[in-house]
Amino acid sequence: MLIENIKTAFTQYKDQAEVSGFSALREQAYHEFEKLGLPTTKNEEWKYTNLKVLANTNFESTCLSSGNVKAFLQNALLNKITANKLVFVNGTFNAELSEIIEKDNSIYITNLAKARSLHAEIFNQHFGKYANIENNALNSLNTALLSDGAFVYVPTNKTVEFPIFIVNIADSSDVNVLNQPRNLIIVEKSASVHLIEMYYSLGSNSVFTNVVNEIYANENSHVEHYKIQQQEGESYHNNFTQIFQEANTNVNHVTLTLDGTLVRNNLHFYLNGQNCNSLLYGLYMPHGNCLVDNHTRVDHAQPNCNSNELYKGIMMDKSVAVFNGKIMVHLDAQKTNAYQRNQNILLSDEATVNTKPQLEIFADDVKCTHGATIGQLDEEPMFYLRSRGIPEDVARKMLLNAFADDIAEKIKIPELVKLLEEEIEKKL
Amino acid sequence: MLSIKDLKAEIEGKKILNGLSLEVKAGEVHAIMGPNGAGKSTLSSVLAGRAEYEVTSGSVTYEGKNLLDMSPEDRAREGLFLAFQYPIEIPGVSTTNFLKTAVNEKRKYLGLDPMEATDFLKMMREKMDYVEMDKSLISRSLNEGFSGGEKKRNEVFQMAMLEPKLCIMDETDSGLDIDALRLVSNGVNKLRNKDNAFLVITHYQRLLDYIVPDFVHVLYKGRIVKSGDKELAKELEVKGYDWIKQEVEANS
Repeated sequence: MLIENIKTAFTQYKDQAEVSGFSALREQAYHEFEKLGLPTTKNEEWKYTNLKVLANTNFESTCLSSGNVKAFLQNALLNKITANKLVFVNGTFNAELSEIIEKDNSIYITNLAKARSLHAEIFNQHFGKYANIENNALNSLNTALLSDGAFVYVPTNKTVEFPIFIVNIADSSDVNVLNQPRNLIIVEKSASVHLIEMYYSLGSNSVFTNVVNEIYANENSHVEHYKIQQQEGESYHNNFTQIFQEANTNVNHVTLTLDGTLVRNNLHFYLNGQNCNSLLYGLYMPHGNCLVDNHTRVDHAQPNCNSNELYKGIMMDKSVAVFNGKIMVHLDAQKTNAYQRNQNILLSDEATVNTKPQLEIFADDVKCTHGATIGQLDEEPMFYLRSRGIPEDVARKMLLNAFADDIAEKIKIPELVKLLEEEIEKKL
Repeated sequence: MLSIKDLKAEIEGKKILNGLSLEVKAGEVHAIMGPNGAGKSTLSSVLAGRAEYEVTSGSVTYEGKNLLDMSPEDRAREGLFLAFQYPIEIPGVSTTNFLKTAVNEKRKYLGLDPMEATDFLKMMREKMDYVEMDKSLISRSLNEGFSGGEKKRNEVFQMAMLEPKLCIMDETDSGLDIDALRLVSNGVNKLRNKDNAFLVITHYQRLLDYIVPDFVHVLYKGRIVKSGDKELAKELEVKGYDWIKQEVEANS
């Protein structure tokens, strides 16, 4: 069972590992995980998302891939875009499938295992500094047993010309697999980068992917960060992203959850300086018995910052969605503007949405709004389209596409938007 | 073309149309006037097929077919067109894509192949000139951020694209300044021919200076209480509706 599998994996790791500060952190993280165990529905943060099925399954955390990943990738959408690609298969970096086309050698786009020795100073300065492990079982688990992941370092004043795809493929052809990717992104002063995390799966066994991202945006930098979840079949996915913004930074984040049995996205922003802009966009369209849970948190710790959040869901069949958006406005964060909306369209009587906006405001001069809607497609646009001779089913599709594309279009790479809109259309 | 007989309709239990009858032939323009609350918008809603209105008795025959049995989309594909009083904004649906879908769905219904992309664009350019519509508007989302006048011009532009047989114009003049009114009316006049008909619903006579009707009907309390030619509209403009109301009350 999962807990025993983890214990074995950790013992094996310890036997092989060299003694270093990194190992100490892993040890600490493992004990934290042991203490906490997998979150249960008794935990308020996990009230609607039950991980019991994971606890009762055996997962292999170090296994090879026997599927034809190369052929699979050739048909994937990222193959149609000129970009830097870091590809990981079952948590292991695959140099053959990866491709770095960026010419500037001062920009590091590599894998974490390599960066740990090659760029030790930067690594040690940032690794584990943003994603909290205390009281967070899954972050602890990732920190204890992480496999590999992307390491991106953009020095001061540099712009990464081509987008960086961080591609994770879980191959469960032979056994149930546990993948724990860990990405560390450092964007220095006045630098900018486009990052796209993509998750795929092949094979018919179960997949449990547990990701931690740490993204550090130094002053005046600009980060575009997109996460596209397309793992199919029996796939369980937990993603924790901590974005740490210094003064005068702009971060635009888009999460598209297009597939997965159970997907939990934890997106945390910490605004550590003045004049930051943070944009959080999400789209989920679960079908069957799938569950998508988006937990977001924006910490306004300094004055004069803006955050704007819009999450949209299209619910099919017996699917379940959870949206929990927390905005924390700290005592010093005067003149904060924080907006949050969650809009859901139910296409089935049996689908469920649990939505909970949460504002905690400790400053007195702020503008904060939140709102949530759950309903059917509006009658008026439907009638308008039908009154022009467009049949009901075609009209419905047009309106649903428009609803979903609104989020996809927040991605600033036009050719990627076009490809994603085609994927979205296929799902509806 | 259109034959309405003793039509009664209600919404949420409230009776709005109380035995309305009207005959419209090809090539004719009928104006329906009347005070607020007379049932003018209900008439256009019932004809276009809004589900929230319930027809309790009477009949509507359009081109020999029972109109009330048809879905809104079938009515449109049979050649009925409603120019909305308040055209709504539909973010994310481009005007071009919307019209291409509408035109090709109608063609499919009539057993025709979809239009070639180049022919379609040519047609769009031609028809935009009818209402002097700004070319940039069609690449935007449907009516999104359009001014009141642009929305009404877009309605007439759509009318030109879909080439309907029966056009119902629901208070198209409301909210239009004089320049926009002239543009919209010019567009409509260019579309008039011996094979199509117009039902122009309006509160004011002003619009009828530009779109000159063959018949003018006064709707009051859900029925047509008076019919005449364009002179009747002018009389209403001068005298208001009170004298008609009194006439009706005296006769009942």
